[in-house]
Amino acid sequence: MKKVIEVSNLTKEYKSVRAVNDISFDVYEGEIVGLLGPNGSGKSTTINSILSLLSFSKGSIKIFGEEMSPNLYEVKRNIGVVFQDVAVFDELSVLENIDYFCGLYIKDKSVRKEYVEDAINLVGLLDFKKFYPKQLSGGLLRRLNIACGIAHKPKLIFLDEPTVAVDPQSRNNILDGILKLRSEGATIIYTTHYMEEVEILCDRIIIMDKGSIIASGTSDELKELANIEEKVSVHISELSDEVIEKIKSLKNVEEVNYNGDVLVVIYKKGEDNLVKLMDFLSKNKIRYDKIFSERPTLNDVFLELTGKELRD
Amino acid sequence: MIVFKSFLRVLNKNKAPVILFTVMLVIFGVINFTSNDSTDVFTSSRPDVLIVNKDVNEGITKTFIDYISKRAEIIKLSDNESIDDALFYRNVNYVIYIPLGFRDDIINGNKPSLEVKSTGDYQASLAQMMVNKFLRVVNVYSGDFNDEWQLINYVNSTFSNETNVEITSKLDVDSLSRMATYFNFMNYTMLAGLVFVISIVMTSFKNVNISKRTTMGSMSYRRVNMYLLLSNLVFALVFWLVCMILSFVLLGDILFSLHGVMYIVNSFIFTIVSLTIALLIGNLISNKNAVNGIVNLIALGSSFLCGAFVPVEFMPKSVVNLSRVFPSYYYINSNELIKSMEVVNFESLLPVFKNIIFMLAFVVLFVILINVVSWKKRRFA
Repeated sequence: MKKVIEVSNLTKEYKSVRAVNDISFDVYEGEIVGLLGPNGSGKSTTINSILSLLSFSKGSIKIFGEEMSPNLYEVKRNIGVVFQDVAVFDELSVLENIDYFCGLYIKDKSVRKEYVEDAINLVGLLDFKKFYPKQLSGGLLRRLNIACGIAHKPKLIFLDEPTVAVDPQSRNNILDGILKLRSEGATIIYTTHYMEEVEILCDRIIIMDKGSIIASGTSDELKELANIEEKVSVHISELSDEVIEKIKSLKNVEEVNYNGDVLVVIYKKGEDNLVKLMDFLSKNKIRYDKIFSERPTLNDVFLELTGKELRD
Repeated sequence: MIVFKSFLRVLNKNKAPVILFTVMLVIFGVINFTSNDSTDVFTSSRPDVLIVNKDVNEGITKTFIDYISKRAEIIKLSDNESIDDALFYRNVNYVIYIPLGFRDDIINGNKPSLEVKSTGDYQASLAQMMVNKFLRVVNVYSGDFNDEWQLINYVNSTFSNETNVEITSKLDVDSLSRMATYFNFMNYTMLAGLVFVISIVMTSFKNVNISKRTTMGSMSYRRVNMYLLLSNLVFALVFWLVCMILSFVLLGDILFSLHGVMYIVNSFIFTIVSLTIALLIGNLISNKNAVNGIVNLIALGSSFLCGAFVPVEFMPKSVVNLSRVFPSYYYINSNELIKSMEVVNFESLLPVFKNIIFMLAFVVLFVILINVVSWKKRRFA
């Protein structure tokens, strides 16, 4: 596969603070790569450095095989950016805003008109074309922000936390739109601290913390790192210490927690752990209300790697 | 073209202040045009004077009373208490007590004495001047004439002399004054209009997030800036043209003169200065809510200090010295110089050219500052 982005030994320092610490990664054509990390982990700094919006202290960045620089306008023609903060004109309508930002790339009026219509359809703002930003809800405003960034049909799209403070309907619309962009051939870099979105969207995930890449791979590959196979939660109103000890001695059980209401059994490896636990509870005539099994999440991975939660 | 088109769209959303400032200029111009503040008609003031005559009411004493009566409103009161009250309540400005022997003193060549009471205001001063004038004239003639009637004739003849004053200047002072007032007020209109509108529009285009997005465009940032600059220039020129059309409507064909041309040239230079001030402020501020305050500070402040509303002659020297740091000072100063110009030629225009050079120096300074601010803002790091 063709490399779209090549980042080698990127380091960015602000006076005494090292915001990005010697990171290297590649992004391939057609991929959706998620940059996951808590606030202040260096995601946005990395994106801004890649885009030459920030100068960096060390390393090299290539986009479409060319060393990235602020004056590389031909390369920029194929890049779309959706920033974390909404960047639109209050004085222009939805249609006029998208037309302006698309116009910074596309000179041909008829082509631009078609592209603007496509962008409006993609983000579902057809009914709001003549609305001004102040008349839009937070979710619709985010959709407009995305439309402004991708209207010129770029081959490489950077989405920096595009779903922050967005209602569920708009969130679904945005995520559907991103998948549609990928199906049309775009390569996407997606930064967020919402692990659910990363799991839904991304082919590969890069987890960052304190300016460094602490893990990368597919969702499944990363979950391997969590050292957890399965987590079973059972709602039990009464449980003796003796029974808890017995559960701990069951096969593959890594850890058992009981808070007087919910029993959580963490398994390291193995199969049919849920069935085996249910058998055990039946045999011991222990009554329970609900029982469910969870696969480890990226948060568990982050917890395992850093000792803290992703949203800390 | 998309930048210019969007500039016009953003401008269109902010058209209210443009209309407001233009209407203000029209109203001011109309008031200026219709007001009859002619400076060549004077009406003399008549102070209220009370004369208490203890001398005979004939001869030179009567002449004195007649002289005062012709030039002042004569108030009649009898007792001393009433006179004091009248002075206190300003019903009388000046009281003249003519002593017994006043007539004889004059005839005999002695210096006559008068007792007076005064409110001390300017009306009383006027009455005092009348008395002094009479006594001076009498004093001049009394030494030469022993015949009282002859003396009276000469004194009356002196006061009946009238002199016609002819103004030899060919300057149409009234028209020039109207033009100067209009163009001085334009200092406020141009500054407020351009700074307000351009700052509002520029804060939109120079918003950090929008700038970041613009930087990522395939059109160079420099080119976008150039289009923005041209758009602002076009707006400033259109605004100036509107003001010029209004000046022709309100002031008429008096602008078709060398004086008029100089006013127009001066206002054009000042438009360029205002444009650069507006661009600098537009680059400096990021909060639209601050624009109103800044317009008041810069446009109103410099207009007041530099004499757009009140002539600098009426201002303290320290204020005039302070006003020299504003470009408005040089613009308004040129307007005033043009107003008083008897002949328009290279020599008489030299001080105006000097002011224009000062204004252009401000343009250069502001352009440098705009570039520095823009460069600093572009470096997000």
